[in-house]
Amino acid sequence: MEKTINVKKIVLQNLVLLGIIVLCIVTAIVEPLFLTQDNFTNILRQFGPLSFAALGMTYVIIGGFIDLSVVGTISLVGVVTLSLIDPIGQAGALFCGLLLGTFLGFLNGVILVKFGAMTQAEVLFITYGMSSIFGAIALIYTNSETEHMSRLSNPYTIFTFIGNGKIGPFTASIILFVIALIIIEWFYRKTLWGRQIALMGGNKTAATLCGYNMKKTLVLVYTICGLFAAMGSIVLISRVTTASPVAGAGYETDAIMSVVVGGTALAGGTGSGIRTVLGVLLIILLSNCMNMLGVSTYLQTIMKGLVLVIAIWLDNRKEQQIH
Amino acid sequence: MSTKSVLIKTKKILLKQKAVLAILAMIVLMLFFDTQFFTVYNWLNIFRSVTVQGIIAMGVTMTVLCAACDLSVGGTMCLSGVIAVLMINFGVPIPIACLCALLSGALVGAVNGFLVVHQRTEPFIITLGMGTLLKGISQLLTDAHPIACTNMSFMQIANTKILGQIPILILYMLVIFLLFFWILRFTNYGRNCYAIGGNYEVAKYSGINTLAIKWSAFIISGAMAALAGILLSSRMNSASSVYGDNTGMLVNCGVVIGGTSFAGGVGGAAESFIGIFVLQLMTNCMDCLGIGSYVQELLQGIIIVLILGFDCYSRLKKREHA
Repeated sequence: MEKTINVKKIVLQNLVLLGIIVLCIVTAIVEPLFLTQDNFTNILRQFGPLSFAALGMTYVIIGGFIDLSVVGTISLVGVVTLSLIDPIGQAGALFCGLLLGTFLGFLNGVILVKFGAMTQAEVLFITYGMSSIFGAIALIYTNSETEHMSRLSNPYTIFTFIGNGKIGPFTASIILFVIALIIIEWFYRKTLWGRQIALMGGNKTAATLCGYNMKKTLVLVYTICGLFAAMGSIVLISRVTTASPVAGAGYETDAIMSVVVGGTALAGGTGSGIRTVLGVLLIILLSNCMNMLGVSTYLQTIMKGLVLVIAIWLDNRKEQQIH
Repeated sequence: MSTKSVLIKTKKILLKQKAVLAILAMIVLMLFFDTQFFTVYNWLNIFRSVTVQGIIAMGVTMTVLCAACDLSVGGTMCLSGVIAVLMINFGVPIPIACLCALLSGALVGAVNGFLVVHQRTEPFIITLGMGTLLKGISQLLTDAHPIACTNMSFMQIANTKILGQIPILILYMLVIFLLFFWILRFTNYGRNCYAIGGNYEVAKYSGINTLAIKWSAFIISGAMAALAGILLSSRMNSASSVYGDNTGMLVNCGVVIGGTSFAGGVGGAAESFIGIFVLQLMTNCMDCLGIGSYVQELLQGIIIVLILGFDCYSRLKKREHA
């Protein structure tokens, strides 16, 4: 009797992994090309921008909040970075881009703290407003034109490497991502600051009563999210070699979806970056498999929404059954 | 009562109604510019542009009052327009097609309500996902092309004018606004919504059927979004899967800007209407002044952040006092 409960529990807790395996097997049977080296590289390449944005979002959601401003951050950082390559060189542009993203995240955090926004709903709409501010600045900055790397006079080898480089069978962007993941997971699991994020998501009142400054933690999670959105943006412009002022559109839903599908609870307090990676993998595989099977893009949009709704639903049921 | 206490009272009311203050500020500001702003035609135009979002906002208000929200209204609006136009083009009589579109909205609302109320999922993320799903269905149905309605009498629904030059859309808006105002203020059902938003547990133990009422709020919200979709398609005489991309967020923002709190239990039809009106009036003012669309987006973002931010700030102060 106890054993069956355990099996059920394990299955419920590893639903994503199960989904990934089932998806791979089904696609591999129907379309053997799925298992080729080229497709493997292709999947790794798609890991780029979304995985970074989702990783940053993970810690905001663990902290019990949400951030819709990644759309604006990705758009703005992309166009600013690309436009800075000519005046200050590629390394400087890269650095400035990351700095700008960090600053935008910090700004979000400070504004939320100053206004005293403490619930997910309040935060949702204020960050939506921030997102339209950032997006509008990107549009005004570029006069709504797409910038192209090929028109630059300075070299942009770093960006080419991030976008297209390979070390062994792995793409450069995935290696950068793994490094970032290890650092941030170490930070989240082993440092006091990191543990405070989980504490804040778990119980704000308890955390405050324990003497932790939740305002600083709130600013911290948004700063992390901004930095990661900036990294995602740089990976994106490196990959497509252009920067559009509306490039970020849709990333907020995808990022939230990856986090939630991965199994990080929206209520906050539990979850990890590694779970998010599984979530991202599932979403990328889903689109890759559907492309391979020749499913129309419209159906893919439907599937995306459906996966999000079902994932949250199952997540909720799981919570109720375990407790 | 001395003039001083009257002044303090006025100040308090104005601070509470930041949206009204914003409207007054905009109107005063427009006095300094020589534009077409103060013409009857322009004001009719403002009211007409409010109608679609205003009607959606009435439904969304119900869900927000019950301490939830509905971000799927953009997708619902888009889908219902597509369904109505497709059915009419197929030869279905207009009333039946409109009814089917309305039912589709109610169905979406019922699914949302089931997931949020009975399965206790987080409303905003579930409805966000539902919006994506509905967008996909609209794209699939229309092949992502705008489709024109071949039956010209469908256009009459939203493009007729009454009393000379008043667009009939304003009349629809007025009727629906009064209906919701009445429901929320003077019926048991409406008062129960406030009770549920105010304190769910207390409402439950007071014998209110919380599940059914919260569920019905979502169904109403879906149906209102569908109605708005039909009116929009009728006004444009076409349906397209790109309608309503931002509507979900904007309407929910507008509702909150007006003063219907996301914590639930505070606000009402009038507040929500004012909130939507602020956003539309601002767009109109900026159009009159000839401000470019990107700057408009920037200013709109700033206004949203400021109004919602000060809302949070006043709640924070209240918590500190308590």
